[in-house]
Amino acid sequence: MCSLAAQPASAQHDMQMAGNDLSEPEFNVMGFGDISYISRDGSDSDGFAIGQAVAHLSASLGHSFGVFGEFSLTARDSEYTIEAERLIVKYEFSDLLKLSAGRYHTPIGYWNSAFHHGAWLQTTVSRPEMVKFGSQIVPFHFVGALVEGNLPVDKLGLTYMAGFGNGRHTNIARAGDAGDINGENAWMFQLNTSPTNIYGFKAGIGYYQDVVSPTAEPEVDEQTLSAYVAWAKEAPEIIVEYINSTHELATDSSVSGDVEAWYAQFAWRFAGTNRQWKPYARYERNRIDDTDPLLGDLGLDYDGAILGVRWDFNPYAALKAEYRNEEFDSNGRENNFRLQVSFVLAKL
Amino acid sequence: MHMNCLNRFRKRQAALAAAGFVAALLFSTPGSTQEPSSESAIAIVVHKDTQVENLSLEELRSIFLADQQFWPDRTRIILLVRAPQSDERTFVLNSIYQMDESQFRQYWIAKMFRAEVPRGPKIVFSTDMTLELVLAIPGSISFMRANEVTDQVRVVRVDGKLPNEPGYPLK
Repeated sequence: MCSLAAQPASAQHDMQMAGNDLSEPEFNVMGFGDISYISRDGSDSDGFAIGQAVAHLSASLGHSFGVFGEFSLTARDSEYTIEAERLIVKYEFSDLLKLSAGRYHTPIGYWNSAFHHGAWLQTTVSRPEMVKFGSQIVPFHFVGALVEGNLPVDKLGLTYMAGFGNGRHTNIARAGDAGDINGENAWMFQLNTSPTNIYGFKAGIGYYQDVVSPTAEPEVDEQTLSAYVAWAKEAPEIIVEYINSTHELATDSSVSGDVEAWYAQFAWRFAGTNRQWKPYARYERNRIDDTDPLLGDLGLDYDGAILGVRWDFNPYAALKAEYRNEEFDSNGRENNFRLQVSFVLAKL
Repeated sequence: MHMNCLNRFRKRQAALAAAGFVAALLFSTPGSTQEPSSESAIAIVVHKDTQVENLSLEELRSIFLADQQFWPDRTRIILLVRAPQSDERTFVLNSIYQMDESQFRQYWIAKMFRAEVPRGPKIVFSTDMTLELVLAIPGSISFMRANEVTDQVRVVRVDGKLPNEPGYPLK
């Protein structure tokens, strides 16, 4: 360990300037926020919407132990709600083995664990429908423990993540924050690759299993397979994500149904003097069998196409303009236009 | 007559200023656009006790991206990066990160936000400060012009080459 007392005075001064006084805990605070204007076909409720205000706190308590928190303030019709979106304690033994516990965004696929509640981080105004906030298609949050790390396979850049914890709540859009509701824990596994010789490329597959006990309904076995491919370079940016879930009545396996949901997003950041501009497009589709005992009655079928442009007019803020053509199971087809300013408050 | 001409001139000037402002907004690029200096190769330096002699460029990129956060002896890697506007930083962003300033900033904000790293890279403001901190912090890694390296730190080979050897990749 570094002994500050043994260092020359100038080194001590420089370490303090650079925030490297390793004998002290280190805290970082970041904030995210967004404000949107939304106009819909034939809607009387066009207007401005305050998005989520998000605070991210992290603390490095020594070389191996850290605490992370993400807290959101969300505008509702007549109030604001505060939620601990993520709260994680993490101990890192090595690159191969990192243990953590807490409340996560379930690491299913790509988007849910890549962008969290930071609208500024994502290219588009909003998330794909299958992983939108409050989604019932994927278990959005996960409360439990994760083990993760890098696998020592040369050039493949393999990482793994395995988790065990509380499954969905009786309100299936929420996690069992105060304990598993039916004594049947959820578990998941995800394997990712970022080949070192294909810089910017990432792909992964995952599996999630739970027994769900929705309010006033019998128990349902849930199994979800996920796969994604992401090319994170800005020119182009490509994200394709697919999930397939099977829901089966725990007491009668003949009552079952499948969910298929996917999206493909493409963006391209211009070069040179126009590099603040990034046009994008996304197509998405969700299909749920009517016989699905968990989601079949909820009207979650969806088709959506979006076309937009992002303008990074400031290093810490972006303006996005987006046209959407969407068809909902319950509401039919609609066109809407969204304008969003998103920003990050960070010192880097 | 004279007043009318003056007003027209002022309006034209205001219109030109407004157009210039809009053009500046549309076409300005954030961050530095300096070309990397070719005066000297960039040396990768580590703390004297770090038991590493050679890194491939891919391993170096993995460390600088914080995908690898520990040395083989399980010492945590502490990354020291020069502050914006330095030639050394611009060179490393181009050659190792393959990012510009805004991509670099977004990368680290996202990395911290995903709880993948407990902290971002430490910012250093001069070669002297880099030398002092690499000397002082076990596990630290940084970069500087090869002709400014002293024997206080250890220079790591990249792809088997030292900065003064032909074929060194960080020139």
